Amino acid sequence: MEKGKISSLQMAVMMYPTIVATAILGIPSVTAKFAKTDFWLSPILASLMGYVTVYIAYKLHKLYPEQTVIQFSEHIIGRLAGKIIGFIFLFFYIQITGIIIKEYAEFVVDSFLINTPIIVIMGTMTVLCAFVVQGGLEGIGRAAQLFVPLFIFPLLIAIILVFPDFEFKNIFPILGDGIMPPIKGSIVPGGWFTEFFLMTFFLPFLADKKKGMKYGMLTVFAVMITLVVVNLVVLFVLGTTTQTKVYPLMNVARYISFGEFFEHMESIVMAIWVVGAFVKISVFYYATVLGTAQWLNLSDYRLVIWPLGILMIVFGFWSMPNSMDLERFNLETFPIYAVLIQTIIPLSLLVIAAIRKRKSKRNSKGINSG
Amino acid sequence: MRWGTFLGTTVIVALIILYEWPKMKQNPKKDKMAFFSLLLMGLVLSMFNIQQMSGPTAWIVTFFKPFGEFMEK
Repeated sequence: MEKGKISSLQMAVMMYPTIVATAILGIPSVTAKFAKTDFWLSPILASLMGYVTVYIAYKLHKLYPEQTVIQFSEHIIGRLAGKIIGFIFLFFYIQITGIIIKEYAEFVVDSFLINTPIIVIMGTMTVLCAFVVQGGLEGIGRAAQLFVPLFIFPLLIAIILVFPDFEFKNIFPILGDGIMPPIKGSIVPGGWFTEFFLMTFFLPFLADKKKGMKYGMLTVFAVMITLVVVNLVVLFVLGTTTQTKVYPLMNVARYISFGEFFEHMESIVMAIWVVGAFVKISVFYYATVLGTAQWLNLSDYRLVIWPLGILMIVFGFWSMPNSMDLERFNLETFPIYAVLIQTIIPLSLLVIAAIRKRKSKRNSKGINSG
Repeated sequence: MRWGTFLGTTVIVALIILYEWPKMKQNPKKDKMAFFSLLLMGLVLSMFNIQQMSGPTAWIVTFFKPFGEFMEK
């Protein structure tokens, strides 16, 4: 179905913004609610979830090298049960993509385009991503390669420019309330790290399959470092007030005043956000579209791009009257929901597949010796 | 029922069909079925006042309520 091939480096640059893009903006304040001044430790703990998820995705890929989760779940637990698992995955990805599009648009409307109807922002982004997805996996890979530097450089520049405002003593006390607050704070970013399971949709199309695991792990590490640095920057600038801000990075950017020339750097954050969200939504969109086409055994996945786009926007609005609901969903539901779908279900699939493989090996051995 | 959204979605759906139809004429029947049923799903859902309607997201939030309460503390 997908004839394109990408390199593992391209997969890494696709996955990096997929996690980081939305995580650097809203997560610091959510984590700070639980971990107070220790919230920079939380991404380190949360990244364990990422390593585990990448490991599971890669092991499943090893057992079924040419297939994505939608296809091999049918092989592992039978046709009907596999279809049900596939449906759960697709439903999850359609819903989450819709919610990500909504999240993206909400930030743009809240901070910059106050009078624009939110549907316009959501619609334009969906149309853009639909065209990229139509370009296929190679198209997304190249777009990500092109845009990820544009994502990292403004971030670095913003961090350098805000350096004079650092209050290093904000970091103390380290672990003042013990280790529990950072652990609880890591639950929400942990949900984000499970999104690495999307790798399962790219691993079959890698040109250099051997490096898949290495680059996956490296990406988790890069994401962890980025989140720790961003959290530290936010902590050094905002201190204990972080938890009261909705988008702490935005407040940090407002602090920038360098040589009385570089001021009002919110636009940097906006650029990071738009570029990151673009790659993130494209990756999710592609995974959903490819999965749907495989689930329905269609001859081409490009057919369902536009219809699924409409469904995603619908899901972005469904039972979400305002931005408070979105925030609550991200805090109270998404972490456990994402872990269940993207880590626990794949882990059970892996266990079942491993047991079945061992059994069939033993059976064939028995036949040979007998 | 919100006519504005519904009419807007209808126009978009019509444009999508116009855009995709020439490419998918030769495709198997199954492809066309999937394409049209997905479009129809979106169109039907756009008729309702979806933001206030209880839907899958609300059910999932209710389903994970105990965890939500744990995070509230």
